[in-house]
Amino acid sequence: MAKTYDYLFKLLLIGDSGVGKTCVLFRFSEDAYNTTFISTIGIDFKIRTIELDGKKIKLQIWDTAGQERFRTITTAYYRGAMGIMLVYDITNEKSFENIKNWIRNIEENASADVEKMLLGNKCELEEKRQVSKERGEQLAVEYGIKFIETSAKASIRVEDAFYTLARDIKAKMEKKLEASNPPKGGHQLRSSEPPRRPTNWLSRCTLL
Amino acid sequence: MDYDLPTGFDLIIVGTGVVESIISAAASRIGKRVLQVDTNNYYGGHWASFNLEDIQNLKQENNIDLGKQFPKNLSNEEDFIPLGNKLKCFPYFETEWHIAEEDSIDVLKIKQENLNGKENVVLDEGDKSKLDNDKKEHDDCADKEEDESVVQGEIEEAKEVEQNLNVSTQELLKKDYRKFVIDLCPKLHFARGNFVELLISSNIARYAEFRSVSRVLTWINGNIEVVPCSRSDVFANNKVSVVEKRMLMKLLTSIEEEEKSATVPQNTTFKDFLKNKKLSSNIIHFVLYALSMSNDETIWLEGMKRTKRFLGSLGRFGKTPFLFSMYGSGEITQAFCRLSAVFGGVFALNQQLHGIVLNKENRFESLKCGKQNITASHIVMSVGAAPVSFFKNPTSSLISRAVLITDKSLMDSEQEHMTLLLYPAGNKLITILELGHLTGTCPKNVFLIHITTEGSSNPKEDLEGCVKNLFAFGEQDSNPRKPKVLWSSYFSIPNTNELDLKSSVPSNVFLCPGPDLDLDYDFSLEKAREIFLSIYPDAEFLPRAPDADEIVIGEDPETATEVRASNSNLDISKDTEKSVEEERAIEQSSETELAIEARASCSELDTPSETDNTTKDALKEVEECAEAKENMQ
Repeated sequence: MAKTYDYLFKLLLIGDSGVGKTCVLFRFSEDAYNTTFISTIGIDFKIRTIELDGKKIKLQIWDTAGQERFRTITTAYYRGAMGIMLVYDITNEKSFENIKNWIRNIEENASADVEKMLLGNKCELEEKRQVSKERGEQLAVEYGIKFIETSAKASIRVEDAFYTLARDIKAKMEKKLEASNPPKGGHQLRSSEPPRRPTNWLSRCTLL
Repeated sequence: MDYDLPTGFDLIIVGTGVVESIISAAASRIGKRVLQVDTNNYYGGHWASFNLEDIQNLKQENNIDLGKQFPKNLSNEEDFIPLGNKLKCFPYFETEWHIAEEDSIDVLKIKQENLNGKENVVLDEGDKSKLDNDKKEHDDCADKEEDESVVQGEIEEAKEVEQNLNVSTQELLKKDYRKFVIDLCPKLHFARGNFVELLISSNIARYAEFRSVSRVLTWINGNIEVVPCSRSDVFANNKVSVVEKRMLMKLLTSIEEEEKSATVPQNTTFKDFLKNKKLSSNIIHFVLYALSMSNDETIWLEGMKRTKRFLGSLGRFGKTPFLFSMYGSGEITQAFCRLSAVFGGVFALNQQLHGIVLNKENRFESLKCGKQNITASHIVMSVGAAPVSFFKNPTSSLISRAVLITDKSLMDSEQEHMTLLLYPAGNKLITILELGHLTGTCPKNVFLIHITTEGSSNPKEDLEGCVKNLFAFGEQDSNPRKPKVLWSSYFSIPNTNELDLKSSVPSNVFLCPGPDLDLDYDFSLEKAREIFLSIYPDAEFLPRAPDADEIVIGEDPETATEVRASNSNLDISKDTEKSVEEERAIEQSSETELAIEARASCSELDTPSETDNTTKDALKEVEECAEAKENMQ
C-alpha cells in the first residue's frame, strides 16, 4: 500500500474547559463550526493532512476528551506528542492565568523538546475581551513560544496556527535528523514496506 | 477546582485501578453516565506507575494517607457509612540508595591522584584536560564516557580510573528522575490472550504502544539460561542435546492429546507428570518453570493449560509470546479511562470521599464526595475504598515486590533486550522483568528490574536469595558479571483476589479486586466483565469504538447525543462514508508509524523485530510456529 504522507505529527490541544479547543479542532480539520458540543463527547482525535515544502504531513490532533475539566488529563495523553497548542479564551481572564499551570503540567508529563504554541481564541468577541493581545504576546515571549490570536467561529488564523506549529516541528525534526545521521537524510523516514518495518518505535525515537 | 461535580449518574466508580477502569470504559461506551473518582491525585491505585521521585514520596504518604482521603468527621450528622480500609495501604514499603549521593571530594581526589601517578607515563595533556572536563560534565556521562574509553583504550590503569568514573551517583539518576516509569504492578500480555484480543476488538489499542519481550530466561543450576521458546529456538539452542530436542518437541506437540486422554490421577503435580515422561531435568525445568510458569506444587492439568497458553501466543508479535505496554503498565488503566472520557465519562482525582449513604432496603443511594452528595443507581469500588463492614474478614494474602535500578543487563548482549526471567524457588516462582530504555521506562545505560512473587513474609526476606544470586550490592560482591544495584525498593501489595467480595455487600454495590500474581490481566478482565454484566446484563461488553473519523457531530444537539448513545451502530453520515474508508486505508499504512500499536495486529504477521536482518528469521520462526501448531492439532 502506498504511503500517502511523509511525516506524521501527533499534536495535542490543552487549555481550560470552554476555551474552544474542540471548535478550533473542527475548524481546522473540517472547516466547520458548531456550538452544540457542550462538553467534548466522542471526540478522540482528528486527522488532516497538509503540505509543507512539498512534503505531505499528516497531523493527528488529539482533544482532551473533557479530562481537563477537573485536571485529570492522563499522563498517557502526552506520550509521543510532538506539538502542543495551548489555548485560552481572550474573554476569560482565568483561562489565561491557567496557561501557566498547563505549561507546568506539560513540563511534568510531555517530552522535554515538545513544540508549544499559545492560542488566544474567540478573538471575534472584541467587545468582551478581558486579555489584551499584548499580554498574550508577553506570556509567549516569557516561555519562548509563538503566539497567535484566533477565532474558530469566524475562521480567523486557525489555519495559520496549525501550519506554523507543523512547520516548526518539521524544522526541528529535520535538523535533528541531519545531526544524527547526515548521509542518509530523511530516507529512513519512509517506510517502504509498511507491514514489515522494524521496531517502529526505535525509528521514531530518532525523529523526536 | 473550578467546578463542582455533576451529581446525577448511572454509575459511580471509586478508584482508577484496572478492573474499575475497564468497567468505566464499558459503561460509558454503552451510553451510561459515569463518574469515576479517586482519592489519589494519580490514576491507577495499586496498579499505578511513578517516576523515581514520586515513588519515594509514596513511602511517606502511605501511612497518613487514609485519614486524609477518607475523612470521617463531617459536621452535619448525616447517617453514612465511612469509606476506606487498610487494604488500600502497602503493608510494607521501603526504598534505598546503594550509591553515593554525589561524587565525593575524596573519590575525586583518589581519581585525580591515580591519574597524576600515571601522568608521566601515559597521559598527555589532552587526555588530562578531557578527564577534567568529564568531571564537570559528568551529567551527560553516557555518550561522553564512551568516547573517553576510546581515547584511553590501551591503557590498563587508565581503564580502571575510567571504571570509577563510570559509577553512577544519586545525583545523576535524580536528574533523570522523570525518565523512570516504575510500575507498582508490571504486567505482560500474552499476544493471543484475552486481554490483547479485547484491546484490539474494542479499539482501545490506539491509546497505547507495545513492545515485544525479546527473550525469556530462566535460572537453572546456578546459571541464567535462555529458554527456547519456539521450534527454531529449540534447534538453535546448544545447551539442549539432540535427544532432548526430540523429547521436547514430542511433548509440546502431544500436549493437546495428553489433556484429553487424562490417564493421570487428578492431583498429580505437573512436575511429577513431566518426570514420568522420562524427560531430562533440563527439559523438565524449561517446561515446568518457564513455559508453564508453574511451581513444584502446580497440578498437572493446570500446568498443561498454562503451557498451552504460552505456546498459543507464540509467533504473533516478535520472538516470545509476550508484549509489554510502553511507558509502563500504568498506561493501561489510563487507556481505558481515556475511552470512558471520550464517551462522556466524568473524571475527578484527588477527591475526599467521606462515605456512602444506604437506603432502608440496604441499597446504595449516594456518595459523599467533598461537600457534595452524588447519586447513582450503582456504585463500583476498588476493594481498598470499601467500608470495613463490607468484608467478613478483610485480611488478604500478599504480593511481594522488589524494584531495582541496575547498571547493566542480567545477560549482556549487543542489542538491548526486554527480558522475562523465571526464577524457580521451590513452591514459588519468582518472575523478573528487565526493562531497558527502549521501553520508555528508564533512561539510557541503566536497567529497571521488576521482581514479583507470592508473599509469605516481608518482601525483602521473600526475595533475598534470588536478589543475592542475581545482583551485586556495593563493593562486597566482586563478581563482575552481576549487575550492580544502584537503587532498590521493596514493597508488598495486598492480593485481594481470594477475598469474599460479594456476600456482605449491598446488591447495587460491586467491589473490584486489586492486583493479582498472573502475568497478564486476564483475571482482572474477567472480573470487570462479570461486574459489568451483573449491572447491565443485556449490554454488549466493550464493542469496537468508532475511529476518529467515523464520529460525526450532528448539526443539532440531538444528533450529537445520538453518537454517544449509539452502542455499536456507528453514526456515519453518508457523504463522509467514502472519505472514512480512504482515511482508514491511510490509517492502516500509518500503523508502522505508530509503533507496534496493537492496531497493527489485525494482520497477524506484523512481526515487529529488532532489525531488518532479523525480520526474516522472525518470519521463518512464525512459519515454524504455525507449523508446530498445526502438528499439535
